[in-house]
Amino acid sequence: MEQLLQGVFDGIALGSRYSLIVLGFVVIYRATGIINFAQGGFLLIGAFLTYNFSQTWGWNFYLSLFLSMIVTSIIAILIQLLLLHRSLKEITAGGFCLLIWSVSFYNGNTHLVSLIIGLIAGVFIYFLVRGLEIRFGSSQSNELPIFGSIIVTIGILFVIKQVVPSIWGFAEINMGDPWGFKIIKAGDLVFTHAKLWTIALTAIALLGFFLVNRYTKIGIAMRAAHFDHEAAFAQGISLKVVFATAFGIAGAVAALAGTVTGVGIAQLTPNMDLIVFLAFPAMILGGFDSPGGAVIGGVIVGIIQNLTKVYQPEWDLHWLGVGFDRVMVFIVMLVILMIRPYGLFGTKEVHRV
Amino acid sequence: MSNPSKDLKVRYQQDLMLWRTPLLRIGLLTLIALYILSPIIWETFPVTKFLSDVGLTMTTLNYAGVFAVGAIGLNLLTGYTGQVSLGHSVFVGAGAYFTAYAGTTWDLPFLIWLPCSLLVGFLIGFIVGPLALRLRGNYLVVVTLGLVFLGDHIFRNWKSVTGGSTGVSVTGASLKIGSIDFRNLEIFGHEFEKSQSFFWLIWGFVAIVALLVKNIVRTRPGRALQAVRDRDIAAEIIGVDLLHYKTMAFAISSSIAALAGALFGVLQSFISPIDFGLLVAIQYIAIIILGGMGTIHGSIIGAFVLGSLPRFVENISRDYDLPGVSGDEGGIGGMISISSLNHIIYGILIAAFLLLEPRGIAGIWMRVKTYFKTWPFSY
Repeated sequence: MEQLLQGVFDGIALGSRYSLIVLGFVVIYRATGIINFAQGGFLLIGAFLTYNFSQTWGWNFYLSLFLSMIVTSIIAILIQLLLLHRSLKEITAGGFCLLIWSVSFYNGNTHLVSLIIGLIAGVFIYFLVRGLEIRFGSSQSNELPIFGSIIVTIGILFVIKQVVPSIWGFAEINMGDPWGFKIIKAGDLVFTHAKLWTIALTAIALLGFFLVNRYTKIGIAMRAAHFDHEAAFAQGISLKVVFATAFGIAGAVAALAGTVTGVGIAQLTPNMDLIVFLAFPAMILGGFDSPGGAVIGGVIVGIIQNLTKVYQPEWDLHWLGVGFDRVMVFIVMLVILMIRPYGLFGTKEVHRV
Repeated sequence: MSNPSKDLKVRYQQDLMLWRTPLLRIGLLTLIALYILSPIIWETFPVTKFLSDVGLTMTTLNYAGVFAVGAIGLNLLTGYTGQVSLGHSVFVGAGAYFTAYAGTTWDLPFLIWLPCSLLVGFLIGFIVGPLALRLRGNYLVVVTLGLVFLGDHIFRNWKSVTGGSTGVSVTGASLKIGSIDFRNLEIFGHEFEKSQSFFWLIWGFVAIVALLVKNIVRTRPGRALQAVRDRDIAAEIIGVDLLHYKTMAFAISSSIAALAGALFGVLQSFISPIDFGLLVAIQYIAIIILGGMGTIHGSIIGAFVLGSLPRFVENISRDYDLPGVSGDEGGIGGMISISSLNHIIYGILIAAFLLLEPRGIAGIWMRVKTYFKTWPFSY
């Protein structure tokens, strides 16, 4: 019995990380209608920023965490603004500007000179692409298909995954451990401080999100945008602000999730974003568009994964292999999807023929 | 410029014809000539020294061919039927591991293990296919993503077959058809290298698969698949059996993927779970996006571009000393390492093509062609 309770508790601690990650997915999905695979990238950025603030610069851990959440959300907003709702000319021109800037800087020019050269190249490319577009026409549609936007965010994830190690290196590093190995004992149950803090921080973040979503103006705007983009737009809601806010919130919760995942000894690696893929079953379980479902799905997935890990050796299931707990989650997800194709709490889509 | 009136089709058969115009027929002959002569040219003429310098060696072309086979299969599923699959690498892996096992442990001959590996892929696709009946859009994407993790787990843990995380050797699989052995090919007393004979083997399969899929998509089943892609409920109402066509699309696509896996196995001669991970699945998606969704030649072009890109970047940054890029694996002495640069270019290419030209290289080609065909009247 103790074993079961302990397993459930550890599972909740694990699941609260998933909840945070999934909340980021759900917020962006509700506002913009795309799955943002770059969430893993935000998580990496957040975790490494916390490390940078608290270890390299020696600031207070909680202050670092807070700052890293803010910086990550700004980065997320920038990515959204710069990449996800732009036209052909702007993206090519911007890309060339950055490219020429960095090449010129590495060839020994100062930042100012490089920037000016880059800007000139960018303007040139802008008009070149515009000319080509007028000449040959453009097949760019205004709205990306679902699949397309998913792949775009995967592309962004690729880039972030390479940029982060180029700044902080590939090694496994210590983020520092504000909670150490302190434990609270209740009977035979062991609650480590780290896990309790993970749950507490998650709960605070989730509570904050739900209050914002329920009572503030921007929360109501986000819910309206989820309901119908055009209708919300017609009522005077700025979709740009809604999209940016969604990415901002997702960036902040990703930074928190990254930090609680990376805390401990040699836990912080550039491969940490893989946890995001384990969070997908949680999102599916809860349903894509339900923040409450995200939390419950995350906790359920955490508990299932942890209990599998605890009971697999006990029930002589070694032949299922090491790391079966992660696969188990996907199996449960498959079974639930066969019964309820839109997750436990997701909205059933109505298809018009 | 070509005479537009030549394009007027009077009968339906003309619309279905594969090689409609004389130009296309000349192109076909050129392709056949290139197919037969390429390995010999690569061996004999010094002109190809330049191509080899930028990374376009026989081996690179062979890998591109393997990717082309898999990408054509994925295009049948994603481009023509509209069922997004992030799990294509699992099907590829199943074919590769079956080849390793059947070729080495059972010691089957080439002409038996090859159809068997196709059958294995077919069966796996047949099991997975019905999932697509209940799930669509994002949910299907995530479920096929789950397949990758499931497959990876099996590849790592079914040690008797797959050799676990270390992998397994495929060198035992025989490649003999009658007296022709592709491992050491000898024609008229001249011995060819492995990479040359594999070129004939692999690109031969590319041609066969391309023709096969082209024939599927230009006839009745193909039209049914495209109807499913465009609006599956409407397709069902006009009499397309969704269960049948979705399952078949998955099964055929995954058996082609298994073929790609088998070829990949014998080409690389050693396979491990890393070769069939999420990155590879995304690579296949990238190929069909870059080449053009819903086109056969697009998948081949995409595979060619993305298959030779890594070597190209590698050789260029080695020879020309790009700013900020270090030759070292860990990225010492520069901002990023070559493999990082490769990944970044990959990501940027995928994102750029989707944002700017969702129909891929095939779409650009189409647009330029239309421009010249209707010249001087642009629209």
